[in-house]
Amino acid sequence: MKRSRIALVLLATAGVVALVFASATMGGTAKKAAPYKVALILVGPHNDGGWSQAHYDGLQYVQKTLGSAVQTTYKENIAVGAQFNQTVASLVSQGYQMIWATSYGMMTKALAAKYPKVIFEQATGTDLAPNLGEYFGRAEDTVFLSGMAAGAASKTGKLGYVVAFPIPEVIRHANAFALGAQLTHPGATVSLVWTNSWFDPAKEKKAAQSLVAAGADVLGQNVDSPAAGQYAESASVPWVGYDSDSSSFAPKSWLTASVYNWGPYMVKETRLAMAGKWKSEFYYGSINDGFTKLAPYGPGVTAATKAKIASYMKKIENGSFYEFTGPLYDQTGKLRVAKGVKMQVLTGGTNSLYGMNWLVKGVIGSAKG
Amino acid sequence: MRVTFERRLSQPWWLSVVVPVGAVILAFVIAGILFLATGIDPLSTYRELFNAAFFQTGSLSQTLITATPLAFTGLAAAAAFRMKLYNIGAEGQMYMGAIFGSAAGLYLGSHVSSSAFAIAGMIVAGIAGGAAWALISGVLKAFFSTSEILTSLLLNYVAGLILTYLIFESESYWRQTKGFNATVFPTGKQLPKVAQWPTWTINLQGGIVVPFGAIVAVIVAVILWLLYSRTRFGFGAQVLGDSERAARYSGVRVRRKILAVMGLSGAIAGIGGASQVGDFAHALDGDPNGLQKLGYGYTGIVVAALARYNPFATLLVAFLLGGLQNAGNTLQGPNFPAGLVGVLQGIILFCALGCELLVRYRVRIHRKAAAKGTAAPAPAPKAAS
Repeated sequence: MKRSRIALVLLATAGVVALVFASATMGGTAKKAAPYKVALILVGPHNDGGWSQAHYDGLQYVQKTLGSAVQTTYKENIAVGAQFNQTVASLVSQGYQMIWATSYGMMTKALAAKYPKVIFEQATGTDLAPNLGEYFGRAEDTVFLSGMAAGAASKTGKLGYVVAFPIPEVIRHANAFALGAQLTHPGATVSLVWTNSWFDPAKEKKAAQSLVAAGADVLGQNVDSPAAGQYAESASVPWVGYDSDSSSFAPKSWLTASVYNWGPYMVKETRLAMAGKWKSEFYYGSINDGFTKLAPYGPGVTAATKAKIASYMKKIENGSFYEFTGPLYDQTGKLRVAKGVKMQVLTGGTNSLYGMNWLVKGVIGSAKG
Repeated sequence: MRVTFERRLSQPWWLSVVVPVGAVILAFVIAGILFLATGIDPLSTYRELFNAAFFQTGSLSQTLITATPLAFTGLAAAAAFRMKLYNIGAEGQMYMGAIFGSAAGLYLGSHVSSSAFAIAGMIVAGIAGGAAWALISGVLKAFFSTSEILTSLLLNYVAGLILTYLIFESESYWRQTKGFNATVFPTGKQLPKVAQWPTWTINLQGGIVVPFGAIVAVIVAVILWLLYSRTRFGFGAQVLGDSERAARYSGVRVRRKILAVMGLSGAIAGIGGASQVGDFAHALDGDPNGLQKLGYGYTGIVVAALARYNPFATLLVAFLLGGLQNAGNTLQGPNFPAGLVGVLQGIILFCALGCELLVRYRVRIHRKAAAKGTAAPAPAPKAAS
């Protein structure tokens, strides 16, 4: 009995393998003229309506701009760790020469060193290697501006913000959102609910629900899907999105969003790579180079608010205003950044944008998740 | 015309070969129809799928990366399900194995110079972590008759939260806290070289990299097979699975057995967790987008069920499903939906379990006239045992 079970599984396997092997060996692969092969690895679905979609749009832009000179593909829903490494290995074996990783924790220096001929670019990280570059956009500026729209739309001054992970990237965006809201609505508070996931529509909706139940009358988010917006629409609560223009998910509630325009940077780097002139660097785009933008406004943003946001956007562009300029106080009222001091991107430890692990005054929630 | 199922008195040997092969072929046919309906060419898809899983250069190395954890979680499920002890918690037990195993690896890696000692320590710690976590459900089952299905399932979520907490929300022993990068994004502390598990390269297909964990899984399968087919312990467990009363009468200590088998199942999943750290991640992976997203513990149940809880068949099925998953990962992209392999895997399971019926029962088609003479049909079959 037992032996026959083993035999059966063995035979089943052998049968299928033989069948497919037969068909596999029959299929020849035709070789084409070689375009430059570019791959994008996404942490969520390519059509998530947020983060991953923005990157996917960037890849489409690369394909459209460079045409037949490049061949692009993407991998979606890839887990960091072993599966990511597996994905890279299979892409490399398929001849991909440039790989874009779109979530921190995907690339490691060790992995980059394993494929010295492949060029890696990773969004949001800080690890640099001869063949690994890092890039991101100064979204804190645009999140700040979107926070201004949120503050202006609030009657009670109680805002809710759906957040993914208690890491500096998300913390600085929550802080920027709060600072923006406090500019248009003095004394405004921003309550946080952590989802512990970049992309989890069900959790995001629940978080939005609980924030509204706790009294928030405007919602914002630093998660990847528009689920909070869909809930906001059903509850008639104004909503600020993130990453992509998702106004179609909540046409009435939509205020605006900080969005990324990854495409031009991806084209620029791909061109450099094709010409053999690519160099590893840490790139931090901004409003000025079109890397970060404010999405078109929804119906709930008044002309006065639009004018105010426009004036601040101008000041940010010409450098006469920067939201992370001291004095900045943390939740407990402790002075963290002295008057007149501007926070830097990478230097300053926990008082840098990439190291920030504390929440500004008026944010309700824990920076530890 | 009437169709009835009659229990077979004896099962011809060829049936247990023809039926599963037929089931898998049937699954591929059904999935093929589904693919056709969604505008995908099934034949070329299958060809690509198997190429990517087993034949093209480097594919077997990739397949082993997925097959190794599936072998452990599959064996964990097989060990418990054999006794009809439904441990759904291999997922959480694997996390615990990873937590304990990486703690041992981090500690031993920086205190001893012997790689063998560090790795052995990690395996023992992984066993301890997985078994301890499983024994929570085991104790509740043995002493309070609480359903192990519920407790082990729910403990998966608890284990996942602990895993995330250790890396993302605390400055634990496992977390990398030195350096600026560590403040930017939370990661686990890197395992010292001494504690990283070795690999062997087979000189085929451009070098097939065999992780140490895969070999451990084979050893575990052999032990499990010996245990269930050659020892009193295994015999008692199987009797208990078939009939608790019979087991009691024959002197099997039920509580002790439940604890032992639950612990065994958890221990195997725990080695899987240690292997994740030692073989692949080289650090505790607390990211909910990492280990926790892959659901190896749940797929392990599918693996064990397809293998009918036979340890060696479990290894084979883990290899096959690992290959399919790896292929799905390799092929997904603009022209190949990411969910396709999951659909295929589901259909295979469905067909395999459905066709199991044909091994145990005979299908009889009665013509109207002849129907009168035949005996009353056997009652509808219960779940295959």
